[in-house]
Amino acid sequence: MSYLELFKLVVPETILVVAVLVVLAVDLLVMREQPVRYRLLLGGAITCMGCVAAFLWLGGSQLQANFPDGAGLLVVDPLTNLVKQVVLALTVFTVVLSLDSHFTEHVGEYFALLLLATLGMMFLISSEDVLMIFLSLELLSLSLYILTAFNKRNIRSAEAALKYFLFGGMAAAFTLFGLSLLYGLTGATNLHQIADALKGTAVKSHFIDPLLVLALVMVVAGFGFKIAAVPFHLWAPDAYQGAPTPSAALIASGSKVASFFILAKVMMLGFAGVEGSGAWRNFASGWVPLLTVVALGSMVVGNLVAIVQSSVRRLLAYSAIAQGGYMLLAIIAHDPQTFPSLLYYVATYGLTIVGAFGVVAVVEENAGDDHLAAFAGLSRRSPVLSFCMLIFMLSLAGIPPLAGFFGKFYLFTTALNADPQHFGLLWLVLLAIGLSAVSLYYYLMVLKQIYVAEPAAHGPVVAVPFASQVALTLLALGVVVLGCAPSLLLDTFQAAIRLAGS
Amino acid sequence: MPWIVHNLWLIPGLPLLAAAITALCKQRSRTLSASLAIGAMVLAFGLACVAFLQTLNKPAGSETFREVFNFTWLQFGTASVQLGWVLDPLTAVMAMMVTFVGLLIFIFSVGYMAHDENFTRFFCFLSLFAGAMLGVVIANSLLLLFISWELVGLTSYLLIGFWYHKPSAAAAAKKAFITTRVGDIGLFIGMLWLYGASGTLLFYDGGNGCLETGALAKMVAMTTSVGMAASTAIGLLIFCGAVGKSGQVPLHVWLPDAMEGPTPVSALIHAATMVAAGVFLVARVYPLMSAGGAADVVPATLQVVTWVGAITAVFAACIAVAQNDIKRILAYSTVSQLGYMMMGLGVGGVVVGMFHLITHAFFKALLFLGSGSVIHGCHEEQDIRRMGGLRKYMPVTFATYAVGMLALCGVPLFFSGFWSKDEILHAAHGWPASHGPFYLGAAGALLTAFYMTRQVCYVFLGSYRGSVRGSAAVTSHGAHPAGSHPSLHAGGQVPHESPPVMTWPLVILAFFAVVLGFVGTPAWPWFQSYLGGEKLEFDFAKLTEGGVLFLMLLSALIVFAGIGLGWWLYGRQPAASAEGPDALERIRPDIFGLLRGKFYVDELYEATVIYFNAWWAGVCDFFDRWVWGGAVRAVSYLALGLSWLDRALDEYVVNLGFDQVCLGLRRDGGWMSLVQNGQVQRYLSIIGLALTVLVLLLIWGIKPS
Repeated sequence: MSYLELFKLVVPETILVVAVLVVLAVDLLVMREQPVRYRLLLGGAITCMGCVAAFLWLGGSQLQANFPDGAGLLVVDPLTNLVKQVVLALTVFTVVLSLDSHFTEHVGEYFALLLLATLGMMFLISSEDVLMIFLSLELLSLSLYILTAFNKRNIRSAEAALKYFLFGGMAAAFTLFGLSLLYGLTGATNLHQIADALKGTAVKSHFIDPLLVLALVMVVAGFGFKIAAVPFHLWAPDAYQGAPTPSAALIASGSKVASFFILAKVMMLGFAGVEGSGAWRNFASGWVPLLTVVALGSMVVGNLVAIVQSSVRRLLAYSAIAQGGYMLLAIIAHDPQTFPSLLYYVATYGLTIVGAFGVVAVVEENAGDDHLAAFAGLSRRSPVLSFCMLIFMLSLAGIPPLAGFFGKFYLFTTALNADPQHFGLLWLVLLAIGLSAVSLYYYLMVLKQIYVAEPAAHGPVVAVPFASQVALTLLALGVVVLGCAPSLLLDTFQAAIRLAGS
Repeated sequence: MPWIVHNLWLIPGLPLLAAAITALCKQRSRTLSASLAIGAMVLAFGLACVAFLQTLNKPAGSETFREVFNFTWLQFGTASVQLGWVLDPLTAVMAMMVTFVGLLIFIFSVGYMAHDENFTRFFCFLSLFAGAMLGVVIANSLLLLFISWELVGLTSYLLIGFWYHKPSAAAAAKKAFITTRVGDIGLFIGMLWLYGASGTLLFYDGGNGCLETGALAKMVAMTTSVGMAASTAIGLLIFCGAVGKSGQVPLHVWLPDAMEGPTPVSALIHAATMVAAGVFLVARVYPLMSAGGAADVVPATLQVVTWVGAITAVFAACIAVAQNDIKRILAYSTVSQLGYMMMGLGVGGVVVGMFHLITHAFFKALLFLGSGSVIHGCHEEQDIRRMGGLRKYMPVTFATYAVGMLALCGVPLFFSGFWSKDEILHAAHGWPASHGPFYLGAAGALLTAFYMTRQVCYVFLGSYRGSVRGSAAVTSHGAHPAGSHPSLHAGGQVPHESPPVMTWPLVILAFFAVVLGFVGTPAWPWFQSYLGGEKLEFDFAKLTEGGVLFLMLLSALIVFAGIGLGWWLYGRQPAASAEGPDALERIRPDIFGLLRGKFYVDELYEATVIYFNAWWAGVCDFFDRWVWGGAVRAVSYLALGLSWLDRALDEYVVNLGFDQVCLGLRRDGGWMSLVQNGQVQRYLSIIGLALTVLVLLLIWGIKPS
């Protein structure tokens, strides 16, 4: 394969890299003396242009390749293209939401890091090789650490970033250790080859190597950190609370989409054959019971702890942990049908959570903090904003006809159907449904503040920036439309999976 | 089938239509309502005449003697309920009588009710009554007859209570309705039994009807548990209805009270037509009544009919002697004459009873209308002691009233009552079962002549005593129909003759009261042969045959004795004042008191049936209130207790449980959030711990696969 052909495969990523350079250069060289507002607008415009250009290229691309020669360092097929598009769209929304923020004067660096994080996600999505996965993860993580710390005037931002960094560093260390163990066991870094080697040993030895268990747990620890699953979630509440809102939104949305995609790939491809079983009273060692424990912990801890939160950001963080638990169900079921349901769920979840953080950002801008009390009487002060929040919260809680409802419904159904004879996951699904009911409590707590509680004396009207207004309305509309007509997105995912042949 | 048979329903239909239209009219449309009612009656009378002509000269047993039109009303399963009408001499003559007398009474009412504000309603009810009565007449199905019968009862109730603001009128209406209902229960049960026994309620149905030989033979053969033939039992039950409707003892109590209604109503319903419906019913089902009899054996049914009739005839006549209300005397007289009719049916068959029914209808209507005219002329005075000398003031009324009185008494040769009553006495004399009814009938004839003479003497002879009504002492029977008749003529004014619209019907009725007798004399028994469908012969010799002449002489003697006695007591020296004691009272106050008190039958009923009813109602009330009500309350308290329990469960178990769970969840959430203490060292050590635990867990879970 010539470099030209390789270049064609990485055109979207290249566009993003160019955008990084342009936004840095323009901001530092041309806009240095201009007010922050204009710099934000121009930087945001360039970033969006880069993302949109990459998005459009991906949309028009018919390429399908596995570079180099099936080694999985760079996989390009319709499915990865589609997931990349989702990530790019979420990034665009994040950029739009940050246009009116005041947390930084380093506009160029901010957008450059945002783009680099997106770049990390895109490479992550494209890899089927553990080394490449690790590299992409690090690119993504490092960008996010800095983005978290970007509000230099806020000590909480720095603290959250430090915790995130330390936690992430440790997780990365475990992951690397796990991956090296895996390499030692199998002699391969490509997921398919690893799976083949594991199958060989499993067939020969009839039981799982304890060393493999160690590798498995350590790999899962790394990804568990990225998706904020219990017990690797501890960074998330602090980071969600301390980070600048757009950063938190990106961590919660785009990063999650990419991480779940690659986690599913690693588990289903790389550890195929050592699934074990997480069925009720039929526990067998493997990655399925491991993820079952993690999912169980995430759902229980996320939902229960969210109830006692008074900060909306932390509440969203715990809700994100719980939602991660639901999504893990799809991976645990590891059935061809559950993969599109996972992608649908995580994509719509990304849209919703970006919207929710957008609302939080606006309220925080006006009220100064993100406590529940700051939302009191929001419906009287800003009806449109409140209505958007209503849609996001109810969608997260899984109320028909919003996207969150259909996502949960389809996810739980496919998870059950994965084992139609025994319904082995029935207990977990029932638990998930029960805890979804619990989750309604804290989502409604936010809405109660907005719609029932009396507004505080000050601030008769919440000023909603135009860009945010448009972005939030579009997101809310998307949540409703995708809820009413889920096939719009679902069929695309299914078609892409069929074409990718995975 | 002739046109009239097919359309016989028009005879009751037209008055019904008139009633329906009148019911929708405004209260003020007097002319319209009267014209409609009278027009409908004229048309009905015309149709009745057509029907009558159709039945002339049809020998019994021929195809056309009795023509029926039947149709199915309801069909359930294989059984069906059929209705229909029948045209035979009985129907035709009855329809003629009802429409003709009704027509005259309608015309009379225009004058009598002229000042009543509810004139329209009155004519609506009258038309409804006429329709219902004609329905009874033409019915060929006991069911249709029963429906019409009940409608007749309803209209009777409405008309008696027409002046419902008078408590006595309202009470009388109730009494009439309830008392007749007692008899109707018997009729209803009889009807059901008849349907069960014969499978049909049609009287005549080409050999399948319940009055035809096949069904009768079947019912005679059936015996009930008390050893009585089914036909007898059914006949007696149906007779119960007749007893109620025709005011026979012991259900006669309602009829005198019914005089609270307007006088035309009394004439129409309680003299000429409705009360005759009972007699007509017995005549209609006569084949059933006489079933099981032989030449010398009188069936039990007819014996009962005869005895009830005979007793009623004497009983009511006795009471009539001591009454002072002009309409009440006529009412008891009616009861008595109905008894005669019943007796006639029992001893002599349909023709004898029906002949008296027809002649009585005319002269009793005449007498009632005459009394109406008198009441009208005397400014709503009904007490005969406050009248007197009216001969001078009301000549036409007097003349026609006298004709009616003579006809009722049965004065020989020139008055219809003589011929019809003589027929009954003659049949009673030849009755094989007993001579008792004959003697009772003779006694009744004597009493009839006596009390009618007394009444005429009081009303028309002597001098007018109305002017001395000092304190307006109104007897309980003579209450003013308050509000109906503006008291234009204050007390003390002289009586006046009634307008022509009222006197002309009197004259016409008087004419018929005389003439009708000649259609049924023994010499020329046209009526009898017409009803029976026999060949008519003109034979004066019949007058002298078989003791007829002797009986006629005896009857005449009795009548003259009665009239003479009455004259001796009341006519010789007309009472001078209204307050003085009655002539008979002076002689035997004890008997007179008993008679004036109507043998205290009402009081007897009050003390027995009504007292028992009240007592029983009290018992039922007690049971309802305390036993059943207590049970219901107990159940409701039980339900209440259960709901309390339910609520307690809901509040303290379910809700509290839910709250506890929620609280528990919150507490667990709070407890779990303690892990999140913000110390990154803690976080990292938790990762290490978690890793260790997970690894151990998975290693523990390794199974040889």
